Amino acid sequence: MIRAAFASTAITAGFCLFVLLVVLVPVALLYPEPGEVLSRFLLGPFEKTRYMGNIVELATPSMLTALAVVLMFRCGAFNLGVEGSFFLGGLTTAAMVLWMPLPPLVGIPLALLAGAIVGSVVCGIPGIVKATTGASELVSSLMLNYAAVFIGLFVLNYYLRDPTAAMLSSDRFPAEYRFESLIPRTRIHIGSIVAVVACIIGAIYLNRTSQGLEVRISGTGNDFSRHLGLNSVALNIRIQVIGGMIAAFAGGIEMLGLYSRFTWQNTTGNGWTGVIVAIIARDNPILIIPAALFIGYLQVGGDLVSRAFGVPTEIVSLIQALVMICVTSVAIFQHPALRKFVQGDRGGAAQ
Amino acid sequence: MQMTGDETAPQKALVEFREIGKTYPNGTVALRNVSFQVIEGDILAVCGENGAGKSTLMKILAGIEQPTQGTIHYEGRQRRIADPNVAGDMGIGMVHQHFSLIRSLSVAENLALGQEPRRGLLIDRRAAADRVRELAQKFSLDVDPNTKVGSLSVAAQQKVEILKALSRNTRLLILDEPSAVLTPQETQELFVQLRSLRARGVTIIFISHKLHEVRALANRITVIRSGEVVEDGVLSEMSDAAISKLVMGVDVTRASRNQRDLSAATPVVVVKKATVATGDADRRIDAIDLTIRAGEILGIAGVDGSGQEGVVDLLCGNVQPDEGDIALLGKPMALATTLDWRRAGMAHLPGDRFQIGGAPHMSLVDNVMAGSHRDKQFTRGPFLRVGAMVARTNELIKTFNVRCLGPREPLNSLSGGNAQKLVAAREFSSNPKFLIVNQPTRGIDVAAAAMIHGELLRLSQNGTAILLVTSDLDELLQLSDRVAVMFDGRIAVVLENDGLTPERLGPFMLGLEKTS
Repeated sequence: MIRAAFASTAITAGFCLFVLLVVLVPVALLYPEPGEVLSRFLLGPFEKTRYMGNIVELATPSMLTALAVVLMFRCGAFNLGVEGSFFLGGLTTAAMVLWMPLPPLVGIPLALLAGAIVGSVVCGIPGIVKATTGASELVSSLMLNYAAVFIGLFVLNYYLRDPTAAMLSSDRFPAEYRFESLIPRTRIHIGSIVAVVACIIGAIYLNRTSQGLEVRISGTGNDFSRHLGLNSVALNIRIQVIGGMIAAFAGGIEMLGLYSRFTWQNTTGNGWTGVIVAIIARDNPILIIPAALFIGYLQVGGDLVSRAFGVPTEIVSLIQALVMICVTSVAIFQHPALRKFVQGDRGGAAQ
Repeated sequence: MQMTGDETAPQKALVEFREIGKTYPNGTVALRNVSFQVIEGDILAVCGENGAGKSTLMKILAGIEQPTQGTIHYEGRQRRIADPNVAGDMGIGMVHQHFSLIRSLSVAENLALGQEPRRGLLIDRRAAADRVRELAQKFSLDVDPNTKVGSLSVAAQQKVEILKALSRNTRLLILDEPSAVLTPQETQELFVQLRSLRARGVTIIFISHKLHEVRALANRITVIRSGEVVEDGVLSEMSDAAISKLVMGVDVTRASRNQRDLSAATPVVVVKKATVATGDADRRIDAIDLTIRAGEILGIAGVDGSGQEGVVDLLCGNVQPDEGDIALLGKPMALATTLDWRRAGMAHLPGDRFQIGGAPHMSLVDNVMAGSHRDKQFTRGPFLRVGAMVARTNELIKTFNVRCLGPREPLNSLSGGNAQKLVAAREFSSNPKFLIVNQPTRGIDVAAAAMIHGELLRLSQNGTAILLVTSDLDELLQLSDRVAVMFDGRIAVVLENDGLTPERLGPFMLGLEKTS
């Protein structure tokens, strides 16, 4: 088992590198100093503490949104409302911070909780609609993301807007509400620790609790859970609400960790990144952590070459897409020769 | 068998397997050193336990799988059968146990798939239909080319499958457990057709678990056990006992039922005039009356789709009756959900162990413990006591003799028979008051089936009321105290099993006779 898990991790890593090179080398050759472009992309992110900090900053929200996605996927709900939940979570947290001047020790948790509750609606409603009418949660959650954004913008425009600011944004958050940086010269904040802990708790929940077992059973298709008499409909709704809460909580964390005012004019993409991370992590909460860091690394590397050489940032999206295709290609990962190569020859041992 | 003509004729090998070996990527060895010949014009029975490698060997011959060792010689020449198309070109057709027809297409469309006659860019439907008629006439298999496959009976669908397999100048027809889905009468008819095919020069290989069918049809037999050929010879020279021993490797003692008088036992399940008028047509039931007593095994017979599934749905809480009453030990259950039924002491062993009875990608522990995962014994607060769960799983694996690599392996790493034993372990170990078994041994080997039969009889002796739904009439008559025959959603008759025969049930199953 452990050997098999190691093999698939090793194969994954190998493929990521392969894909990186396949995309990067031709692109790099278009520039006068191809070697520079390559090394900037691949090694640049590790050159400075600040860049490494950026990786962690980028990975923090996507770990949480990926966790939300993994929980919902594992329960069999293909809910993509994380994007909207993240947005509304950030907005609600911002509003709470501005409207309810409480001591930070009470105010911050309360603001995050309120954000989680309000934001969970975007994932929860599609779950309820699916249970009552059978409408696909995939479609309704996608659509609801837009509704969430426009409701959010309405609230921002009419209730939160700072009339003195040049752009559409809220008032400044009181300084004591903002998370402090944990490591000098980076903006890594407490949220990163929270995200890692959340992924570990997620793994324990799925694999070591009675309800987690029910989630996994529900996720394999309804016949088995129906056979056992499990109420997978109620469980499904509950998991989607929890998923929405986690994604919205991530929005709140992001807001207090990296922003001084609410400035989002549209969804942020953190939800989509979460879906990508969840897929690369193969729906395993623990693997979310390296997967999110890897995507963060790609984004930072892409940023660096785009700033230094004008390489389009779309390259990063291209790499992400190819990595996803490779990682999800079961055919590749179960290829006997490849497995044998990595795992060492033990043909026939299973018999 | 009537082999007089052939015995003098020179025996020409149509197919020769030479040292065929097949090892799957996960290390499972399915076949090793399989060498034997298929004589032209024979009906060859391939027997063996499930997981013995019969199906793998046939799939290799049909080009669906590739051997990892050895060669196949066809008509004396070494051939590589790269895919089913190549097999088709060579004149090899296969009828699978699970039909590969598309239900929403007509018979002609199904047969034309992949080799559509064209007129310009369009498919020439008339030509396709004509071809079906021609084929049907040639092989005297009577089907209407324009009927939708979904509206055909199972037996008729099988005919279409056979026609499809024959549609490309087929000289070798492979059938994988063809009788598994048929009534005794339909099986007889199939055998008549297969014999007439053979008379037309088609060589036939068929896989079967059932010895009496092998006797009725084949003239040669090849027995495969654990991936190796253990016997290959003329059928008439072997006794049933010898074959059974070869298949199993050991003598199997069949569990047998004692004739008991249960009329005084407490009724456990009482169903009164239950009607389910909605949902799938073949799951509807109409004014069903049933009583199952403590310690009784009530068998339900019927052609597939006669409402047996509806009765199972009703009694495990999948559906609630539109009309009528149900009681379990005096408790009204008409509105009960599956969870209510389970709490009241119901357990259910379905035939489909990978779709309904278990989760194929989850571990054996998860599969066995699902359902009792909230018992105090296995939890500490919200957390699972994984150690206790693994210990319990190991215990059940041992008691039910499940062959596996370990409790953490996924369910789909087990053969069908072992997976079914595992699901049975979960359901039987809860000491149910009422047990539903639905096709409990479909597609599993004789040893696993015997084990499950033994457990069923043991449970019934301990007072469990058992509802047995099966299309295997041997199994039904071997285990049941009473048999209810269903036809068209109703119970046609309930018979005491004091020496019942399949022939006695047949007319009721086909709706020719009814008494209620």
